[in-house]
Amino acid sequence: MEEESLESSYHPSFQCCVCLDLLFKPVVLACGHMSCFWCVHKAMHVFRASHCAICRQPYIHFPSICQLLHLLVSKMEPVAYKRREKEVLEEESRRDVFSPQFNSLASESDQSEEVGLPNKGSLDISKEDVLCALCQDLLYRPTVLNCGHVFCESCLATIGSEALKCHVCQSMHPGEFPKICLDLDHVLEEQFPNEYATRRERLKQLEKVMLPCGGPSSSVSRNHISKDGHLWLDENLPKANVGVGCDSCGMYPIIGKRYKCKDCKEAIGFDLCESCYNTSSKLPGRFNQQHKPDHQFELDDSHMLYKILLLKSISMEEPYQDLYEDHVSVDETVDSNENIDSNNHTENGNS
Amino acid sequence: MSLAYSGGGGGGGGGGGGGGGSGVRPWPSTASVSSSGKRIQKEMMELNADPPSDCSAGPKGDNLYHWISTIIGPPGSPYEGGIFFLDITFPGDYPFKPPKVVFKTRIYHCNVDSNGNVSVDILKDGWSPALTISKVLLAIKSMFTNPDPYNPLMSNIACLYETDRAKHDQIAAEFTMRFAR
Repeated sequence: MEEESLESSYHPSFQCCVCLDLLFKPVVLACGHMSCFWCVHKAMHVFRASHCAICRQPYIHFPSICQLLHLLVSKMEPVAYKRREKEVLEEESRRDVFSPQFNSLASESDQSEEVGLPNKGSLDISKEDVLCALCQDLLYRPTVLNCGHVFCESCLATIGSEALKCHVCQSMHPGEFPKICLDLDHVLEEQFPNEYATRRERLKQLEKVMLPCGGPSSSVSRNHISKDGHLWLDENLPKANVGVGCDSCGMYPIIGKRYKCKDCKEAIGFDLCESCYNTSSKLPGRFNQQHKPDHQFELDDSHMLYKILLLKSISMEEPYQDLYEDHVSVDETVDSNENIDSNNHTENGNS
Repeated sequence: MSLAYSGGGGGGGGGGGGGGGSGVRPWPSTASVSSSGKRIQKEMMELNADPPSDCSAGPKGDNLYHWISTIIGPPGSPYEGGIFFLDITFPGDYPFKPPKVVFKTRIYHCNVDSNGNVSVDILKDGWSPALTISKVLLAIKSMFTNPDPYNPLMSNIACLYETDRAKHDQIAAEFTMRFAR
C-alpha cells in the first residue's frame, strides 16, 4: 500500500484499457489502440479473428511489444512501472509463462538507481527516445507496425506501396496500413510542444507541394481490408489451429499449416505459420522461448479445428457437417471450449 | 506459441488483495492477487470516486466477485420512482468474459425475463474487456427509457409495447409501484 501512495497518478494515456493499470510491455494494434502484452494475448480469440477492445476492429495478428513505448513508460512512470514489473513477473511465474525480456531496459534502470534517482518521479524523456527510424526526426503522427517498430505516418506512406515492410527488422507488416497511435501522439505533443509544432508546419508545406489531393495514407489504407477482415477468417475456420499462434508474425490462430518446433522445451512451444516457415525470418519467440536456428520443425495438425470437431462428432456418432454448421452460427465471443461443450449439450438434447 | 487461455490466473472465489486507496475497506490480502481481482478493485475505486448518476454498486460481502447494485428508475419512464436491485457476478477470467447481471427486483420490461435475466448486447456478443461495470449500468439505465422490442426476452411484453404503448406503460408503472418501492 505504501507503494501505491508513493505513486502519483500516472499519465492517463498510459492506462491499459483492459487491466485499468499502467501499461506494461505495451502492444499496439493496427487500429492504433494499445494495451499490455498479456492483456492483448488473453483477450484474443483462440479460433477466430479477435477484435480490438476499444474500437472492435478485427485483427488476427498478435503484434510484438512496442519497445519504444515500453521505454517511454518506464522512464516517465518509474515507480508504477517497477510495481507493475514485479506484479507481472509474479503472475508469470505462477502461470509458468514468460514474456519477452529487454536487457537494455534492465541495465538502464540499474543506471538510474546508481545515479541516485530511484523512485523520484518521472525522468525526463529526450528526443532521442522517440525518433522515427526512417526520417531520424521526432516522431510525428506515430504509427506502429506489427513488429512493434514505430514510424511517422508520413514516412511509412512513402515506403508502403503494396506490402509494408519494416525498415528496422525487415519483417513484413500483415494486413492494412496501421492507424496512428493517438495516445502516443498526445504524449509526444505534450512533451515536445515546440518540436511537434515545427514538424506539423513542415509537413503541411511538404504536403502542399508533394500531394495536392488527399492525405498521405488514404490511398494505401484501403488495399488490404478485404483480404484481412472477419469474413476471410470465417471461410478458413476449419483450417484454424485452435489456440496456436505463429511466433514469427504473430498470427493467432494460425490458419493453414502449422510447423511446431521439436526442440523447444518451453511449455508454450514454438510454432510458425506456413509463410514464416518458408521464409528464413525466424525471430526469437514471442514468449521468450530459447529457440535456436538449428532446431527441427514438424508439421502438426492436432489443433486443427476441423480435426477437433471430427473427433467430437465421431465420439457422439453425429455427422461432422452438422456440427460444423452449428459452430459457424454460434456466437463468436464464446470461448472455444465452452462452445464445443454447449454444442454437445444441444446435440445430446436433440438426439 | 500455443497457449489456450486458462482462467484468470487462479482467479475466482474471494481472491482479494491489499485494498489501497481512500475510503475502500481493505480486503484480506492473500499471497497472490489475481489479475481479475485487481481489475475489479480498480473499478470499485473508480465507482466510489465518480459514481454514475442514479446508480450504485459494490461488493455484497467479503466476496469481491459478487456485487449488488441499485438503479433508480429514470424520471419520464414508467419505472420512475422505483429502486431496482441487481446482482452482479464476475467470472474468474473477468474482464475477458462479461459479468452476469440479474435483476433481483421484479420488473415489467421486454428485455428482462421473469427470472431477472437481462438481454443487453454488451453483456453477450457485444462484450469487450474495455467495458466496465459503470458502463454496463449506464446501458441498463438506458434500457429503462429505450426498451428493445426487436430482441425481446418477453415477447408478449414486446408485442404490447409495440401495439399499445399506453397500456404497456401503465402495467410497467403498476409493477414499479408494487415491487420496486
